[in-house]
Parts: sequence; C-alpha cells; structure tokens
Amino acid sequence: MTSKQANLLQGTLDLLVLRALGPGELHGLGISRRIEQITKGTFLVKPGSLFPALHRMEEAGWLSSFWGESENNRRAKFYRLTKAGKRQLEVETEQWTTVALAMTNALKAT
Amino acid sequence: MAIWSRVKSAFRNLSPKRRVAIEDELEDELRAYVEMVADERIAAGMSASEARRTVLAEFGGIEPVKQAMRDRRAGVGFESLWQDARFGLRQLRRNPGFTLAAVAALAMGIGANTAIFSVVNAVLLKPLSYPDADRMVLFLRASTLLASNLVNVREFHIYQRQTSVFQDIAAYDIAGPGFNLTGDRPEQLHGIHVTEPYFRLYGAPVSLGRVFTPQDDSPNGGNVVILSYGLWQRRFGGDPSVVGRSLQLGNEPHTIIGVLGKDFLSDPAADIWLPFQFDPASNDPNHFFRVTARLKPGITLTQANAQLQLATAQYHRDYPQADPKQQFAVGMLRDSVIGDARNSLLLMLGAVSLVLLIACANVANLLLVRATGRSREFAIRAALGARRGRIVRQLLVESLLLSVSGGVLGLVLGFAGVRALLALSPAGLPRIGQDGSAITMDLRVLFFTLAVSLLTGILFGLFPALSASRIDLNSTLKESSRSGAGFRQGKARSLLVISEVSLALVLLICAALLIRTFIALRGVGPGFDAHDALTMEMSLNGARYQTAAGVDQLLRDGRERINAIPGVEASAAGYWLPGDVGDNAFFRFVDRTTEKGCCLTKWMSMTPGYLGLFRIPVLRGRDFTENDNAAAPGVDLVNEAFARQFWPNQDPVGQHILRGKRVESIIGVVADFHNSGLAKPADPMMMSPIAQVSDGYTAAYSNIQPLFWLVRTRGDPQPSIPAIAEQLRIASAGFPVAHIRTMDQVMGLSTARQSFNMLLLTIFGAVALLLAAIGIYGLMAYSVAQRTQEIGIRMALGADRDRIRNLVVGQGMRLAFIGIVAGIAASFALTRLLSSFLFGVKPWDPAVFVAAPLILTAIALLAVWLPAARASKVDPMQALRAE
Repeated sequence: MTSKQANLLQGTLDLLVLRALGPGELHGLGISRRIEQITKGTFLVKPGSLFPALHRMEEAGWLSSFWGESENNRRAKFYRLTKAGKRQLEVETEQWTTVALAMTNALKAT
Repeated sequence: MAIWSRVKSAFRNLSPKRRVAIEDELEDELRAYVEMVADERIAAGMSASEARRTVLAEFGGIEPVKQAMRDRRAGVGFESLWQDARFGLRQLRRNPGFTLAAVAALAMGIGANTAIFSVVNAVLLKPLSYPDADRMVLFLRASTLLASNLVNVREFHIYQRQTSVFQDIAAYDIAGPGFNLTGDRPEQLHGIHVTEPYFRLYGAPVSLGRVFTPQDDSPNGGNVVILSYGLWQRRFGGDPSVVGRSLQLGNEPHTIIGVLGKDFLSDPAADIWLPFQFDPASNDPNHFFRVTARLKPGITLTQANAQLQLATAQYHRDYPQADPKQQFAVGMLRDSVIGDARNSLLLMLGAVSLVLLIACANVANLLLVRATGRSREFAIRAALGARRGRIVRQLLVESLLLSVSGGVLGLVLGFAGVRALLALSPAGLPRIGQDGSAITMDLRVLFFTLAVSLLTGILFGLFPALSASRIDLNSTLKESSRSGAGFRQGKARSLLVISEVSLALVLLICAALLIRTFIALRGVGPGFDAHDALTMEMSLNGARYQTAAGVDQLLRDGRERINAIPGVEASAAGYWLPGDVGDNAFFRFVDRTTEKGCCLTKWMSMTPGYLGLFRIPVLRGRDFTENDNAAAPGVDLVNEAFARQFWPNQDPVGQHILRGKRVESIIGVVADFHNSGLAKPADPMMMSPIAQVSDGYTAAYSNIQPLFWLVRTRGDPQPSIPAIAEQLRIASAGFPVAHIRTMDQVMGLSTARQSFNMLLLTIFGAVALLLAAIGIYGLMAYSVAQRTQEIGIRMALGADRDRIRNLVVGQGMRLAFIGIVAGIAASFALTRLLSSFLFGVKPWDPAVFVAAPLILTAIALLAVWLPAARASKVDPMQALRAE
C-alpha cells in the first residue's frame, strides 16, 4: 500500500461498492478495479475485505449475484444492485454528503 | 428490511446442504479472482507459475478470507452454538462416568421438584373447574363457641336476601346421607340435596332432561331426582328414555327429571341430586348444609363482607336472644377446598429446593474437577485466539446439556414417582383425585421443569465456567498435565462441600422431626381399641326412620341378628366413629344460671354396647343399658374432660342438666378418648342413648348422615362381612351397607397426611444424604489423586500409613464438621417454621439434633474413609518415579 492510499473509513466500503455497481453488474475483481478507478487510486480494496463485504451486502438484500463469463472467458460470480440496493445507495450518498460537508466546514472553521 | 433479509438468510444458512453449496461457491469465487489477476499478469509477460505465486502472496491466503466470509454470514452465532453443543456432547460421551453422575444427581434434584410441583399445580394452582370460579364464595359463620361453614335454614334465608352483592346463592349437603337404591340390585348411592340455583352456580352441563325449577324445590315439589352421567350409564346403560322413569330410593319412588353431563365434578361427589324443598317458615335450628354463591361482577370480597356485617346487625335486631357474637362472612370457595394443604405443600417445596441446591453444588463440584483436567485444552484454545466469552459459552453449553438431560429424566422420574407414591400412601390432600389421578402433566408442569433445568444449568455451570476460563496461558501450557488445581479452586470446592453437608443436615433434621411426629401420633393411645372392629355405613331413608322409635327398632333387630352370627363378639351402632365426633349440642344446668350461648359440648348418640365394643372404660357410674329407652328417664354419659370443665370439684354422676326443656341425669363418667383426631386432646363430650333422642333430631340425622354399624369379632373380621351385611339387609327390609372398613383402616386414614409428609421428607433427606456423601467422597478422592506425589514424599520421609490415612480423614472430616455446625445453626433457625407440622416433639428436640448430625458424621466418615485408605496404600517408590 503506498502512502497515497488511504485506509478505508468505517462504512465507506459499502458506499463505494454500491457506487461501483451503480452503472451495471461486475465481478469481484471488476468491483475492486472500478473502485480504484473512481477514487483515482486512493482506495485499493483487498479481496480480504471485499469478499466478506459482498457476502454481507448480499445477505442484507442490497446485492444479487449470478455466475457468468468474464471478459477473458473465466467463470466468475457477478454482482448487481437490487432495488433495495439502489435505495440504499441514495440514502448513503445523501448521508455521506451531509457528513463530508459538515466535516469540511468544521475543518475550515477557525 | 435488511434485518428481515438477514434473518431469512440465517435460516437458509442453517440447512447443512445449503452450507456445503455455499462452501463450494466461496472456493470457486475466490479461485476465479486469483485466476483472473494471474491471467492479467501472464498477459503482461510474467511466467504462469510466477504470476500465481505473486497473486496468492498478495492475497494473503485463501483460507482466512473464507473464514472472514463465514464469520460475516448471517446466523453464524447459531452455527457456532450448534458446534459448541456437538463438541459438548462428544465431551460428555467421552466421560461416561462423570456424565452419568452429574445427570443422575440432577435428575434426582429436578425430579423431586417436578414431583412436588405437579402436586402443587393440581392442588393450589389449577382453578376450580367451575365457571367464574374466582368469584365463588363460601358462607362462614363465627360465634362465641365455634367457627363453622355450616348453615341452618333461617340463616340461609338471610343469605338469600343479600342479592345486591351475590348471585346464584345455593345450599347443598356437606356429605349426604347416602340413598338406598332398592330393587333387584340394592346399592348405596351418594346423593346430595341442593337448592334450585345450585346447577347454575356450578355450571353443571345437562345431558338429558332438565335441572330443578323453583317449583321442584318448593315444599310440595314432589319426589324428583337428577342422575349423574356415571349412574345413568351404570344403572340404565345410557338409555335416553330414562327421563320420566321412576327410581326407587329407600322404597319410595322418585321421578327422574334429568341427567347431568359427563365431565361434571361436584364437591362433594354425588350420584344423584335431590331438591332440599326448604319450608320458608322452618325454624329448624340445626346447621347441616353449606351455602355458596357467586360474587356479582365487580363486587370484591371486602364489599361482600361489608354487606354481610350489615346483615349481621339486622339479624341481632331481629333475634335479640341469639348468640351476640354470631357473625356472618364469606371466604373464597377455593381457599376452603384447599384448606390447610397449602402449608404441607409449601413445606415440601422448601424441602425439594434444598435437594436441588445440593444436587447443583454436587454437579458444580464435578465440573470444577473436570475443568482442572481440561485446563490445557482451554489454554490451547485461548492461544489460538478464542476469546474468554467463547470458552465460558462452551462450558455453559455443556452444563446446560447436562441439566436439560437431567431435567428430561427428572420429569419422567418425578411424575411417575409421585403417582406411585400416592398410590402407595394416600396423601389426604384435596383435589388430587383417586390415587392422585388428577395430578396431570400440563404445560405449566413442563414449563416449570424446563425453567428449573435451565436455571440449574446456569447456576451450577456459571461459576466453574468463569473460574476455568481465567487462564494464565503461559504457566498452564508449561505445567505438566498432572499439576493440581489452584488454591482458589480448592477453596471453592471445599465451600461447596460444606454447604452440601449443611443443607443435607437441615433436611435430615426436618425428616427426623417428622418421623418422630409420626411415631408420636401412632403411639398415641386413641383411648379406644380399634383392633378387630368393623365399621359399615347404612343410609336410613324413608318415613320409618324419621322417628327415634323407628330407628331404635331397626337397631335392636339388627344387633340381635348380628350377635347371632358365629365369631361375632359384640355389636353396636352410632352416628359417629369414636375418633372423629363431628356434632355439638347445647345444654344448660338445672341448678346454675348460665350466660347466653352457654354451654356447648361435643355430643353423639349411641346404642348400648358402643363403649364396651371399643373397650372404653366407664370410670364412675354405669354404661347405658337396653332399659334406657324412650320410655325411661333421660340419661347421659360425659367424658373426663367434660367433668373437669363443668364440675371441676364435684362428682358429675347424679347431676342434672337441661336439654331443651327436658331434664336429664348424668349417670356416668367415661374415660377420655381422642374424639377429634389423634393430634388433639379429647374435647369435652356428652353421650346419649339413640333411643332417647328427639324425633326432630332423629329425622335430621337420617337426612344428613349415614349410621355406622360396628361389629367386633373374635380374630380377623373379614370373613364375617357377608353374613353381617346379609343380616342387616334383612333387618332393614332391603338396605345395603357401604364403606365397609376395619377400624384399623380408618385410623390409618386419619394420619394419612402426616405419614405422607414424613415419607416424602424421609426420601428427600435420604437423597440429600447420598448427594452430600458423594460430594465429600468426590472431593477427597480427587485431592488424594492430585497429591499422590506429596504423599509419596511424606512416606519417603518417614510418615507411616496410619498417619497418611488420618491426614486425609482429618481433612475430609474437618469440612464435614464445619458443614454440620452450619447445618445445626441453620436448623435451629428453620425448624421453628415446622412447628405446626409437629406433634409430641419440640422443634429443637435434643434427640433429633444429636442423632441427625451423628448419622451424617457416620456417612461422611464412610465417604472419606475410602479415599483415605487409598492414600495410605500409595507406594512411595511408584509415586515418586511417576513424575
């Protein structure tokens, strides 16, 4: 892990996964790459945290999964957002925006 | 929603098939990830093997990721609990000796509790089986001389007017005189008289016909009768056309108007019901029936009693000559049904909880021993990352497994045990049915047993679990497996044994006190000779027995016939048995003025020969003879207690008393006998010849009480029974006799409650003693095994075998003695509570307080002797080399 890469804040992983799956279905590696991409390399999600999170979110009903073919013809498990997952994405985005704004203001205040 | 989704997943995850599928998917998913990253690296020019190696290295191992995914999964708590349970079961199976001992101790403890609770449930907890039973009340009457729930007609009419607080006010016979069903199969039926609202009050279901109307219950309502379902089936084969037919009762036809439902349980039990048909103008002073009613909705017992106080005041204004202390009140019907059984049962509950505590202490001790043996197992688990909570949970799961198995076994044992016990020894308890058949296994009993099992599991499991999980990893793992328990545990175990011993002693002392009570009761000379005497009851139905002359004629004829039977030594009759005289009579003195309400005495009427048959001596004066008949001057006998109370310094013989308007003379003083139970001294009592009783009284007796025929035979009375019954049937023109019993049986029944209490407490005391002995034995045996090395060294240094043995015995007995001292102290405080159950022995009976500790000491000595003997046989060479 390079110094640029931040530790995932508690709770941010869920939001990132939901966001990564927003446009469409991805497999585990795809999700990991997508997060790296959309955070411009700030967050590198390791499989050790990614997969348990995916399973937990699936059991919570936010994600559904199916087996499919990867771009280079490997059998892989794909995840996509469910209706509940889309709602959850909205809720968490809103919460995060509120928190981030508040934090930014708090840190700017003299 | 997310929660619901997780719950669903949790349930899905519990299925084993599904678990295998999930495991496979986990594996596949992670493999796919590794392969895909490796593919990329190969494409970038890395060698295949190098690519995989680097990916896996970055991955940090597939297994931990899988474990992390498993731990996240919903329902993982259940799953690991299930794992704990399976592991616990394996552990228990591997130690059958330990498991057996623990389950047996718990089964005894929980079984005893289940047994007693099932009785408590049947007697105290189950509601009466009548509608709105919690509003049913019984009328009570207090006066200067006695408190009673018996009512006379005049008082009944007063009660009937209290409609502002009561509804369905009904009168019914207390036991009923019995009715002679005559015809080709004579049979004595149990019948009671009731007033019209009775069936409504008790919610009696009607199978056929109808119940009494106010018209049926009026003085000219005619001879009508209602049958029980049982009698209808038995005598009429369930014939639906029985309504309107006639039933011959005491040679008088009665029209059957209805049949009650199958499940109706009346108290007192009855085969037939007849209407009282009270005369509204009746002035009958006799109190011979009970009255119950239902409180109107919203009325409390206090409000009802306030209303009755007003009625009492009105009564005294209307009848200024009445006993000024007379007062009316009501109490809950259920309380009167339960009576003093509550105290007995509470005593038993107390005793069984002690047994359970001892069993818990015992199992806790066993668990402590086992935990020491398993300390390395826990240390290894802790080293591998198990948190303390996880280890405590594992141990608690094991103890719950033990307690629940003990509970299941105890449920079966306790339930079967109490039924067997009641079949052997009638308890004299209300509401338990024939031989305890009303004691049933219901949800409440099951729930009680489950709760007790879980609670005991936690009670005896928590302390050992907490102490076992307090592990110093470093030293435990380094120690050899044979090293002993820490100081703290040793102390805890000693404390447990001490409390076991003291609790067992408390139970032993209580049991011993009850045994002494029972012996004292049995040792009481009742004051009459009950051996080889027979009693049988006859109901005197019909017009002939409404007069003293009619009854006297039957008694003379019957006794003549019985006396002619070979083997019969003497015969007599009376309305009461000598051990339980239930009637009272008023009298006044001819030569003294007496205050209002005086004087009341126990009273019974009898034929000549009654006293002689029971070998009750007449101390002064003479017994009744056949010449003391209706035409002769009125005569009475009194007992010593009566003479002491009313003529303290004079000879009562030759004195005169007034009964009503008639002057009667006292012709003799009879030795006291226990006329109201063995536990009470003789009450003052007066006796009159049946032939001289007034017609009114005779009629009242014929209507409410059966007559007792009494026969003494030479030797065993059983063979003479058929001949006696046959002669009595002839003398009475067809009446059967019922309830044929020897007086020995009657006396046995009179102490049934005490003997049941004693039996139970003795069993509990023995169980407690056994458990305590096992506790001491276990502790000492374990400590000897732990200290083999030390003993070896002592021997090597010159201690001889006796010394070693005494050392072990001394240590064990020290614990026992501390326990005994504590137990004696506790007993001093507790046996006071027992005093109402005791007879002829003080709560601090010195003999008991010496004997019970001695017994316990002897048993404890035996329990420590075995391990001590083993210690003294240790071979020092072997003990030292073993390390």
